[in-house]
Amino acid sequence: MSMLEVKNLGISFGGLRAVDDFNLTIEKGELYGLIGPNGAGKTTVFNMLTGVYKPTDGKILLDGEDVTGKRTIELNKEGIARTFQNIRLFSDLSVLDNVKVALHNQKEYTYSTLTGILRLPRYYRLEKEMDARAMELLEVFGLDKEADYKASNLPYGKQRELEIARAMATNPKLLLLDEPAAGMNPNETQSLMNTIRFVRDKFDMTILLIEHDMKLVSGICERLTVLNFGQILASGDTAEVLKDPKVITAYLGE
Amino acid sequence: MKKMSKTARSNLITYGIVILAYVGCEIWMRFGNMSSLMKGLLVPLCVYAILAVSLNLTVGILGELSLGHAGFMCVGAFASAAFTKCMEQAIPVPTVRFIIAVLIGVVCAGICGILVGIPVLRLRGDYLAIVTLAFGEIIKNLVNAIYLGVDSNGFHLSMKSMLALNMEADGMVIINGAQGITGAPSDSNFTLGIIMLLITLFIVLNLINSRAGRAIMAIRDNRIAAESIGINITKYKIMAFSISAAMAGAAGVLYAHNLTTLTALPKNFGYNMSITILVFVVLGGIGSIRGSMISAVILTMLPEMLRSLDEYRMLIYAIVLIAAMILTWSPKAIELRERYSPLKLLRRKEKEVQ
Repeated sequence: MSMLEVKNLGISFGGLRAVDDFNLTIEKGELYGLIGPNGAGKTTVFNMLTGVYKPTDGKILLDGEDVTGKRTIELNKEGIARTFQNIRLFSDLSVLDNVKVALHNQKEYTYSTLTGILRLPRYYRLEKEMDARAMELLEVFGLDKEADYKASNLPYGKQRELEIARAMATNPKLLLLDEPAAGMNPNETQSLMNTIRFVRDKFDMTILLIEHDMKLVSGICERLTVLNFGQILASGDTAEVLKDPKVITAYLGE
Repeated sequence: MKKMSKTARSNLITYGIVILAYVGCEIWMRFGNMSSLMKGLLVPLCVYAILAVSLNLTVGILGELSLGHAGFMCVGAFASAAFTKCMEQAIPVPTVRFIIAVLIGVVCAGICGILVGIPVLRLRGDYLAIVTLAFGEIIKNLVNAIYLGVDSNGFHLSMKSMLALNMEADGMVIINGAQGITGAPSDSNFTLGIIMLLITLFIVLNLINSRAGRAIMAIRDNRIAAESIGINITKYKIMAFSISAAMAGAAGVLYAHNLTTLTALPKNFGYNMSITILVFVVLGGIGSIRGSMISAVILTMLPEMLRSLDEYRMLIYAIVLIAAMILTWSPKAIELRERYSPLKLLRRKEKEVQ
C-alpha cells in the first residue's frame, strides 16, 4: 500500500481553478519532489494535504485511510507534518522548547494542565523524558549545542533545520518540506541535502518536497512531479522528467 | 546533581521578592512608624500586583490584547461581596468566609472569561480588545442597575429600583443599584493578599513552564505553525484567557473585601482602570511576570508618595511613565542594562578569580 495516494485532487477559489486533476502516489520511504514555476499551485497542493484548504474535489489517502477534508490538527495527528516556505518558528521560545512543544500530542508525553500547575511527580518525570527526546532529535540535526538559544537567534540555515526537527517531533508518517533550501547558500544547501537524506534513512521517512534548487532536486529526489498552471505537466523518475522537452520549456528554460 | 535550571531559579527569585516585601512590611508595621496612608495601601498593592500578573498572562503569554480586565475584577468583586453580605451571620469565621468568597469570585469571573472567549478567541486579529472593552463597560453599568435583596421568601431581583423588590419587612438589600453593596464585613488583610499574590504567581509561573504553557506561547509566536504541529488553538486560547479572567476576579474579591462600601465607578472598574493595568504590564515588560508585578507596586505607590506635590504629581507620574518606557524598551537601554547587569558583573568576577 502506498503511503500517500492523491486522486483527482482539485480546488477552485471563486472562478480560479488553482489546482486541477492532481494525482500523486508516494511509496513508503520514498523521497519525492514537486516542482514547477512560480504560481503553479505547489504550495496550494501542500495546503490541501495539510488541511489549510479544503479541496473542492478529489481524494487524499494516507496509508490507505481517507483523510480528505480533515482539519490541520487532525491531519497532524494522522501523521502529516510540514515545514513552511517562509520559516515559521516559535521565535521567542528556545530551540529546545520549539521541539518540545511539537511533542504535544505524543501520548507518552501527555499530562494535564493541572498536573503542570501543581508540579506533580508525573510532571517532572515526563518533562525529563521530553527533554531527552527533544535533545535526541536536536542531535540528529546538529542543533544540540544551540538548545538554549532563542530560536530567532539561530543562523538562517539552522532555523530551516530546526523547523524540520520540529516537524519530526510530531512523529509523522509523511514529511512535507516547502522549499527547504530557499535562501540558502550552496554550502548550506549541501548540508541540508545530507540532512534530508539522513532523515529518510534513519527514520525510514516518506518525504515530499517542493523545491526550486535543481541541484537539490536532481541530487536527492527519486521521483518528480512537475506542476504548471495547476496541472500536471510530467511525472516519473527524476532523470527522465528533467529531460522531458515540455518540462524544459515550461520551467527550466531553453 | 545538575544545577537548578534558569527558569526555576528565576521563579524562586520572584517568590523571594514577594516574601521579603511581606516580611519587611510586617516588621515596619510592628516596630516602625508606618503611616496610615501606607497601611491603607498594602492590600490595594496586592490587588494591583495580582491584576498585573493576570493581565500579563493574556497580553504577554497568550499575545492577545484585553481592555476589559477591570470588568472581570468587577464581576469577582460584586459576586463575592454579595456572598459575604448574605453569609455574614451564617459563617462567623472571617477567614473561612473569605476563602469561600474568593472561590465564588474566581468561578464567576472565570465563567465570564469563557463566555467572552468562546466566540471572540476563534477570530483572528484584535477583536478581543474591542469586545473586552465593551464587556468592561457593560458589566460596570449592569452592576449599577441591579437591585438584589433577600428575605424569608428567598432572593428578589429587580432592574428598576429598591422598592420594586417587594420585600417583606425582614428583608435585607444586598446590592442597592448605584449605591452598590454597603456594610459587608472587611474580611481581607495584608497577609491574605500576599498569599493570594503568591498563589497567582505559582499558577502563572508553573503554567508557563508546562505543556499547556508552551502550547500557549507557540500560538502567540506563530499561530499557523502551532496548528501544523497539532495544537488546538481555540482550546488553549480560551484556557489562558479564562485563567487570566479568573485571577482578575480574585483580585476583585480582595479589593471588595478591603472596603466597607463597594460601588462600581468609572474610577475603580471602568475603562481607565483597565488601561492602568495595561500600563503596569507594558512598563513592567510584556511577558515578564516579575516585572509587571514590580511595576504595579511602584506605579501604585508613586502617586500616593507624591501627594505633597499637589497638582504636579500627575505631571511627575507621566514623566516617570515615559522614562520607564524608555528604560524598558529602547535598544540602547537594553544594551546598557545587559552590559552592567549585577549578575553579569558577578559572573565576570568569578571568572577572574578562577
